[in-house]
Amino acid sequence: MTDAKQPDAKQPDAKQLAAKQEEAVDPSAPVTGMDYFMKLEYHELLCPVVREFADALMDKRLIGHKCPKCGLIYSPPRGYCPICTVQTTKADEIEIQTHGIVTNYTVVTPVQYYGQEETEPFAKVSLQLDGGGTLSLQDLPGVPVEQVHPGMRVEIVWAPDDERHVDDVTNRSWGSAEGAIRGWKPTGEADADPSEYSDKTF
Amino acid sequence: MANDIAIVGYAQSPSWRQSELTEPQFLFPVISEAIERAGVERREIGFTCAGSCDYLSGQTFAFVMNLEAVGAWPPITESHVEMDGAWALYEAWVRLQHGDIDTALVFGSGKSSPGVPAEVYPHQMDPYTLTPLGADPVSLAALQARAMLDAGKITEREMAEIAARSRKSAIGNPYAQVTGDDDPDALLKEPYVTAPLRRHDLPPISDGACAVILATADKAKSLSKRPVWIRGIDHRIDIHQPGMRDLTESPSTRLAGKKAGVGDAKVDIAELSATFSYQEKLLCEELGLGDDVEINPSGGPLAANPVMAVGLARFAEAARQIAEHGKGRAVAHATSGQCLQQNLVAVLEGD
Amino acid sequence: MPADKRLTTHAIEFPYTRTLGPVYSAFLTGMRDGQILGIKSRDGRVLCPPTEWDPNTGEGLDADFVEVGPGGVVTTWAWVTEPTSKHPVDHPFAFALIKLDGADTGLLHAVDAGSMDAMQTGMRVTARWKDERIGHITDVEAFVPEAAK
Repeated sequence: MTDAKQPDAKQPDAKQLAAKQEEAVDPSAPVTGMDYFMKLEYHELLCPVVREFADALMDKRLIGHKCPKCGLIYSPPRGYCPICTVQTTKADEIEIQTHGIVTNYTVVTPVQYYGQEETEPFAKVSLQLDGGGTLSLQDLPGVPVEQVHPGMRVEIVWAPDDERHVDDVTNRSWGSAEGAIRGWKPTGEADADPSEYSDKTF
Repeated sequence: MANDIAIVGYAQSPSWRQSELTEPQFLFPVISEAIERAGVERREIGFTCAGSCDYLSGQTFAFVMNLEAVGAWPPITESHVEMDGAWALYEAWVRLQHGDIDTALVFGSGKSSPGVPAEVYPHQMDPYTLTPLGADPVSLAALQARAMLDAGKITEREMAEIAARSRKSAIGNPYAQVTGDDDPDALLKEPYVTAPLRRHDLPPISDGACAVILATADKAKSLSKRPVWIRGIDHRIDIHQPGMRDLTESPSTRLAGKKAGVGDAKVDIAELSATFSYQEKLLCEELGLGDDVEINPSGGPLAANPVMAVGLARFAEAARQIAEHGKGRAVAHATSGQCLQQNLVAVLEGD
Repeated sequence: MPADKRLTTHAIEFPYTRTLGPVYSAFLTGMRDGQILGIKSRDGRVLCPPTEWDPNTGEGLDADFVEVGPGGVVTTWAWVTEPTSKHPVDHPFAFALIKLDGADTGLLHAVDAGSMDAMQTGMRVTARWKDERIGHITDVEAFVPEAAK
């Protein structure tokens, strides 16, 4: 399933469909196919722990839940540690640093399927934040994709106060929050030694 | 002959009209409670099987997220059905027949509130002749209800009586969503939603979850003072096109009931997935359940309808009647598809 | 909704193109050409909509098509007060199973009867075709009471 984030993404182009039908040349030829445009909209309440994550973003803060048993930090918080199967609460909430290390990345070369809005290759990175905590699906705007590599030291770029919003934060958006976090920029410091993060890549 | 398998633990979430928790979040305490009640070690569970529907969540592989509520690391042996949790229970029951493991966790969960059920469900239908018409479950159920009314197999008053009794029974059920002490005559004065169905004939839209722990005979006896034995279980399916069936009958229910052994001895109570009021009477007829059988003491799906968990919840409720209320023999029924197309029937007994 | 609750929206969209196979191809070609086809089963019944196999026995069926309808009898119906955006008619209508003349099974479709009072089991209806047809179940816009035609 393609999870189109924009509920108003373009409707099937009726003219294109009609043209496709006409392309089928002979109006008396057997009908062999059927187009069906399926669209379903969902409206879901933001769960409390992600609501708190979103509220913190508006205050230019990153928060997570630290598992009381194993110490793993989840950001955004999930309300539980799936490894230890213990629930986590507000008491387990911690603030996370807004600078850290790129531990892994992927370069997406967008295939132009229906609903794809990107045209150029782009990178998504995983981050290990200084002091603990991780974030996935983050952007490094302005950094050419061929320069993205593990070990880069980066810091957060918040959206300006008058533009910042968390409308795109949902229960399933994970660490992605482009309305609040514009991305991460290299600090210019020397790369981290792999021993600092090689057991924390994901 | 199949090996005896028992239900040794069960738990449910309340049925909510709109939960603000995510599916794994509300599954989490339900699974933990079922495991605790069974008294098994989480890591000792031999097999896990879940029932849920990605179309309800509107997210690909949503069922993978639900595993976060299980404790799936280090990796466990698990499976998933895109069906009600009752069919996950069936898969686990089959898996336990192999004899190499002794316990299984089964759960079902769903959030119907984010989507529009009338728009989501047509996508389970024939994509050429039914989905493009937006054939929705309430309209299709109304066709079946009308067929039964026309055939003299039920009256609108009987439908209202079933709804009123279900709501009343649900008053004592902490998981129920729709409860009340209604006068059938007053219900009959309400307008039709989709004639001949009124609001009381329809199930609520619900979010919720249910979990059940199964164990093989020896293990069950060591775990529980009151294991609930699955004496028979079977599931069957009818023709998909609603116009190619006699909608006033449910041959698949009849056959599944026969194979499960419903008629072999007296039945005390039955928990039926009668999602629409009239279906209760049809199911009772096909299963041979008379007036002496207590139907849906929990209130049934008319009181709480967490789709993908509601069938499994029938097992939990039937098991509760045996383990906690001293009933001897119970029937649990789950259904799938429109107009009772597919049906699963099980017979549960105490020692 | 309380201020501390926040509703989020997401959508899924799939532009499907499905192949039809031999039987639905014939059925929908017929719809485009303004005729409704059924298929003969081995026991001599006529099934509409046509299927590739006998729904009772699972036997494959020969491509033995017969024209049915466009008139038929309503065998059961439901009055839809509030159509969804996915329904074929945008005002109150009936969903009905229609046993078309010459067929032995019911076709699900809409009956545009104007009001619930105009509906009854056993009534005769007939297809109202769209002017522009593409080979689709909704090439029949809806069925209408035969008397009103």
